[in-house]
Amino acid sequence: MGGGAVTALISRATAPVKLFFGPRQTRRAFRCSALQPPDVPRLAETARISLSPKEVEEFAPKIRQVIDWFGQLQAVDLENIEPSLRADNEVGVDPRQDQPVEFENREAMLAAVPSYEDPYIKLPKVLNKE
Amino acid sequence: MALVYFRGIKTSHLRFPLITPFPRRSGVPFCVMRSLDTQTRTPTDNPKGQVKADTSDQPKTLERNTSGFETIIGIETHVQLSTLTKAFCGCPYTYGSQPNTTVCPICMGLPGTLPVLNSKVISFAVKLGLALNCKLSMRSKFDRKQYFYPDLPKGYQISQFDIPIATGGFIDLDLPLEFGGGHRRFGITRVHMEEDAGKLLHSETGSHSQLDLNRAGVPLLEIVSEPDMRSGVEAAEYAAEIQRLVRYLGVSNGNMQEGSLRCDVNVSVRPIGQSKFGTKVEIKNMNSFSAMNRAIDFEISRQVNLHNQGQADQIVQETRLWEEGSQRTITMRKKEGLADYRYFPEPDLPEVVLTDDFVDSILSSLPELPEMKRRRYEGMGLSMQDVLFIANDVNDAEFFDAAVEKGADVKMAANWIMGDIAAYLKNEKLSINEIKLTPQELAALIASIKGGTISGKMGKEVLFELISKGGTVKSIIEKNDMVQIVDPSKIEALVDKVLAENPKQLEQFRGGKTKLQGFFAGQVMKVSKGKANPMLLNKILIEKLNAKS
Repeated sequence: MGGGAVTALISRATAPVKLFFGPRQTRRAFRCSALQPPDVPRLAETARISLSPKEVEEFAPKIRQVIDWFGQLQAVDLENIEPSLRADNEVGVDPRQDQPVEFENREAMLAAVPSYEDPYIKLPKVLNKE
Repeated sequence: MALVYFRGIKTSHLRFPLITPFPRRSGVPFCVMRSLDTQTRTPTDNPKGQVKADTSDQPKTLERNTSGFETIIGIETHVQLSTLTKAFCGCPYTYGSQPNTTVCPICMGLPGTLPVLNSKVISFAVKLGLALNCKLSMRSKFDRKQYFYPDLPKGYQISQFDIPIATGGFIDLDLPLEFGGGHRRFGITRVHMEEDAGKLLHSETGSHSQLDLNRAGVPLLEIVSEPDMRSGVEAAEYAAEIQRLVRYLGVSNGNMQEGSLRCDVNVSVRPIGQSKFGTKVEIKNMNSFSAMNRAIDFEISRQVNLHNQGQADQIVQETRLWEEGSQRTITMRKKEGLADYRYFPEPDLPEVVLTDDFVDSILSSLPELPEMKRRRYEGMGLSMQDVLFIANDVNDAEFFDAAVEKGADVKMAANWIMGDIAAYLKNEKLSINEIKLTPQELAALIASIKGGTISGKMGKEVLFELISKGGTVKSIIEKNDMVQIVDPSKIEALVDKVLAENPKQLEQFRGGKTKLQGFFAGQVMKVSKGKANPMLLNKILIEKLNAKS
């Protein structure tokens, strides 16, 4: 497993443990509750990444580290601060107008599809979602 | 990175419903408590022969009484927006394009790409939110909903989770008279923006699946209803009203066959008096309103049956498919616990900020909506049947309004549109604005008939010429010498002529065979080339027939 996958796993690790976006908990609740240690096998499963038991052992402390770092952020007192959805809402750019632009390099893009059977992208047989 | 920014940031009242215990699935479960007493309702047992029997006898046995049970129905509707480009890239989208022709690195989910929101998606969402009487979120955001399925190559869908753009509205509708009639108001939980996925094709025999990504990234609005519907008819009419609404607003073509309007229906039943909700079952794959109606009524019967047989535990939370061929629902997949979508805010898109000015400009540009039209037509004296017909199609309604504005008699205009014009349109598969007849000429035609210039029968001939060739009522009447004969002396002369030419029949009539009056009337009409005023003709004819007896 390469470095990119580690980043992916860590970034994906944040959501399931509901660090900052958990819909069922308020920010205030976070500050009071201790952060749970990561369930690495489950995180790997939700990210569709296969990990060997050894890798799980290896990643657990690394992910734990990241979670602890968020734990520090959670400790900041935000009692009187208006919540912000984004950090960058002062930047103004015109929204995109609804005018079609065809992508010119489509052929090259489709040529890079690993399994293509004109005009479809060919996939292993999939039937059930979720 | 672009910021969606509509003429200034609005800083006042920032709503932040992060505490809402919203379910992980974007749909609303039936655990949302709500009083069920809102309006008088049709009884929940409404099979009305909706469940058609097929070769297997199961549907037949399902057609049974559902009394003693209460049905709760909620609907998630996906409306595909009729924008020219996709939600987050400039790719054009046209239904039926060659597979994989309208794609780019963004909608194909290639690494390193960034989405840029189509401004039209916001204005359409605001339009629909206002039309559904919702409260708008002046600040909302996009979220990532993770799921791994090849129809969405990014591995997540850009959607809205905890702060949808519109919440807490309602929709009004009138049930058709053939289903008992009545007015209904159904709650709207939320409306949110999201992107569509690509289309997967699974061949019956093939060892692989095929993917077309043209539809990936096309903007959708998901409308989640409150669980307010109680029968298949109510659910189908709710969906029909949503279709009417999006067509009136011009935000979608609402075409169910093409998948521009897709409904997922959640159905649960419980014995009346039980406070706990029954297990909900989701039904998909209904591509017409009548299929929705039948699928739901079938599902209600199926669940009530299981209750009655003491097998309520066999109702499990699952997704069932409507099978048009066998007229029944079948298991598609059982839910293995709730899927973990791991929503989090989409970091590549700025928040969506609405200003009062922007909302006001959309509010003032809203057209007259179906409900307003129906109430206005009712006030004009049209029967509910006429009201529902005319207001059903936005083109018909606009045509009718224009004709009435040109002075057409309200009832007569409705009759022409619903009668001969509708029959022609249906036959030719055309819309009323695709024919040469103009509202102005329909008004002129009605005036000519009302004023006695031409007969109703001639009016039909004029109408068909107007529809197929265009032109004016006046020119067609003159060209075809159609002006009705209303001069009594001229009609009298025609009657005299006919009586003189048919002495035998006249004798029979006077001998008591009064049925022959029709024969004489027909003869007079014939010699007048259909132009004699029928009322005058009959009056004079009766006088003459009875005069010398």
